[in-house]
Amino acid sequence: MAYVAARGGEAAIQYAEQLHQALNGPLTAERVQLIAQLLPYLVDRVMGEGSLYAPELAALALAQTGGDLYEAVLLLRAYRSTQPRLAYAEPVAQDQIYTVRRISAAFKAIPGGQILGPTLDYSHRLLRLDLLDGAGAAGRVQPVTGSDQRVADTEHAAAADPAQATALDPSLPAVADWQRAMGLLEPLPDTPPPDPATLPDLTREPLSFPAPRAHRLQSLARADTGGTLALGYASMRGYGLVHPTVNELRLGYADVVLRHPITGASFSAGRVRVSQCEVVDTQVSSLRLGYTATLGWNEVKVIAGAMLDLEMDAPTPHPAHREEFVLYHTEAVEASGFCIHYKLPHYVTFQSGLDALRGVRDQGGEVPGDR
Amino acid sequence: MLTPVMSPGEAAQHAAFTALLWALSYPGRPQSLPAGAQAAFRLIGATLLDLETGYFTPDPPLAAALAATGGRALPPHQAPYHFYPSLDAAGLDLLATAPLGTYSDPDRGATIVIGCQLGAGPALTFSGPGVRIPLTLRAAGLPPALWALRNRAVYPLGWDLLLVAGDQVVGLPRTTRLEVA
Amino acid sequence: MSLADLAHPRYDYSYGFLDEHARRELRRRILKAIAIPGYQVPYASRELPIARGWGTGGLQATLSVAGPHDTIKVIDQGADDSVNAANLRRFIARMTGVATTTDTTLATIIQSRHRVPEERLRERQLLVLQVPDPEPLRHVQPDSSKAREMHAEADYAQMWLSLYEQLVRFGRFVQGASYPVVVHGRYLMSPSPIPRWDTPTLHQAAHLTILAAGREKRLYAVPPYTEVRPIEFDDVFFQVERMAGRVCAVSGARHKFMDELPVAGGGSLFRISDTGYLEKLVRAARGEPVTIGPTYYDAVGRFYQPGVLHEPDAVPPEGGTGHD
Repeated sequence: MAYVAARGGEAAIQYAEQLHQALNGPLTAERVQLIAQLLPYLVDRVMGEGSLYAPELAALALAQTGGDLYEAVLLLRAYRSTQPRLAYAEPVAQDQIYTVRRISAAFKAIPGGQILGPTLDYSHRLLRLDLLDGAGAAGRVQPVTGSDQRVADTEHAAAADPAQATALDPSLPAVADWQRAMGLLEPLPDTPPPDPATLPDLTREPLSFPAPRAHRLQSLARADTGGTLALGYASMRGYGLVHPTVNELRLGYADVVLRHPITGASFSAGRVRVSQCEVVDTQVSSLRLGYTATLGWNEVKVIAGAMLDLEMDAPTPHPAHREEFVLYHTEAVEASGFCIHYKLPHYVTFQSGLDALRGVRDQGGEVPGDR
Repeated sequence: MLTPVMSPGEAAQHAAFTALLWALSYPGRPQSLPAGAQAAFRLIGATLLDLETGYFTPDPPLAAALAATGGRALPPHQAPYHFYPSLDAAGLDLLATAPLGTYSDPDRGATIVIGCQLGAGPALTFSGPGVRIPLTLRAAGLPPALWALRNRAVYPLGWDLLLVAGDQVVGLPRTTRLEVA
Repeated sequence: MSLADLAHPRYDYSYGFLDEHARRELRRRILKAIAIPGYQVPYASRELPIARGWGTGGLQATLSVAGPHDTIKVIDQGADDSVNAANLRRFIARMTGVATTTDTTLATIIQSRHRVPEERLRERQLLVLQVPDPEPLRHVQPDSSKAREMHAEADYAQMWLSLYEQLVRFGRFVQGASYPVVVHGRYLMSPSPIPRWDTPTLHQAAHLTILAAGREKRLYAVPPYTEVRPIEFDDVFFQVERMAGRVCAVSGARHKFMDELPVAGGGSLFRISDTGYLEKLVRAARGEPVTIGPTYYDAVGRFYQPGVLHEPDAVPPEGGTGHD
């Protein structure tokens, strides 16, 4: 009768919440700001999966949940439910992203150049134990000087500060544009992009399959990073049909461009961190692209997502090749919520199952294995 | 934290939705709207329409009022919500094109709001889901051809009708079997 | 519209938590669900401040229907006092200002996970059932787009085949809760995982039932006075859980859905699962004035509508110990 003992109703809920708070320390505005400053990639992940770009609120969600990522994403999504849609932003063109990092694995050099940007990819993953002894900033990476080849890149790295990003020339052509010009990729349709207000919207209508392109990309944009990686990795490791190459991976800042409702003039309402990845497959007669973009900087998610995008229509039975399987099961809020719902009492349904099982036993039949 | 309260506008829409909920649950039983006559049509519009959906009405003043909800004005064959304060032969031709839904998406069958007078006119006998024992209601101002149009659709396709008379609304979902005397 | 219609003091959240667009969308979907009994209407399903899978579908239905004059009862497994039910109830009350009750007869809206109350619901009462999986075809067709086609074509052959296979293998139907039903002669429907005991309460009911799945983004309805038939064969019938012989250890009542409480050292005690009803029985036994509504099953286990249920194949003798 454990559940009956746990039935303190509302008082029990309050005590449980107090205990949780006591273990996690006081919640203050300063702590929330610290989280936003020190953990921008974590904040990005919460915003991406929460599908709401609001760094301060994401940091607050992380603080309130003690860093429980799924809980933080849920908090942000639930807040999002209360906010009306006021306007539709204009599409972001690739060459209008203030790019801080752009690399292509498909070519040694690309028009506009490979930009390493802010990354730990080539750093030694060593714990800075000296910091704990009070070394402070003295142990930082030395600034690059002189004739070092990467000076150009560090200039771009400086753009990681959004205040300086305005000074950057945003025009870095997409690698795919060059491939289109070379006839390697299907040309883009000649028609102007559709009115954003007419695009199917995942937050307004549920997925149905086959999913419209917009739904698939929206779904990947807010998919669980871990789930996307797990399914994407299954493909990469050998269950995949294709051998994709990263055509282009890009991190940067994009303007949120709105049209003034009365004057019709375009203006930027702010700037958001975005990441996107295109992977390309060379197995067929022309190249095929897989694509994923998300709010915030999250390279693992966009690379794995782009690989899944390329393979999701395959007729083979592997789960990662089925759109329905991938998109349903990488939905962070639904997956985590359903997982923890098994903590709720199920004694009525269990009793009903038990009755069916006993019925079979009483008449000496085979006992069903499941259900 | 304060318990949020409804604004007077929200309260009227909520009361209207409650009336529609029970009107479709108990077809043939009039429910009260918190508004009469023309205002009832505008209130039903405000209760159901916004920029995520669309409507059609041949009535210009009502069209202007419905546009204020943010809903899209659509041609009759595309509009999920149709409003006819009074339905005449010309209106019937437009109504005839209203979506019936498809077998995979029967919920795309249109909702049709039509003005009429209750208590006089031909006897309508309702039976089917929501009706415990068949019940009869008199409604005037509805062209007889409406019933033939409605009966073309084979369930689960069809229209869901809301008959509005003053501040009363009667539900006539596609499941209702109707006999017109 | 006047300025007064638009103006109100600042609140952190809209009435009923959901913003106006979400409420209107739910209204549109709910009305269609009532018009097409048992058909799963897709809806956007906003995230709520409750974890997905914990009743967010039911909660959205309740929040969009509830008004300040409603009285709400929330149960989980039949219990009003479970932590989960208490949590949902306080959230609904906080966001809508509704009155709350544990008495089925006083409630205008009853939100429930896995049970229908023992006392009969009446006209204009709304039962909101939380649904984890709305798709009755899931175990014969896990692909949701194919299952949707099967519903479109009313092609339920695979379901009948699976039922027949159960008979061949086990000699009886082995479905526990969420026993599939056919609604208004057309749609196969999962009545949410309510026990089979509760399934016939949906048939020709006086009340309205809305079933909503938050995670799966589908909602559907059983209007009042609608045919709801469990799938069964002409010669092998649907049967409810056997409650005969079980005596409630608290009230001494019989023929209600019982929770089985294992006793240390073996054996079981039984207690009525509907805590609101049980509380009233206890108070009546103490001589307090309470109004107990008529129940779906009477004191000898007969369902209130004759001819809906078939006699169970083996009734343990009255006063027996059931299975334990």
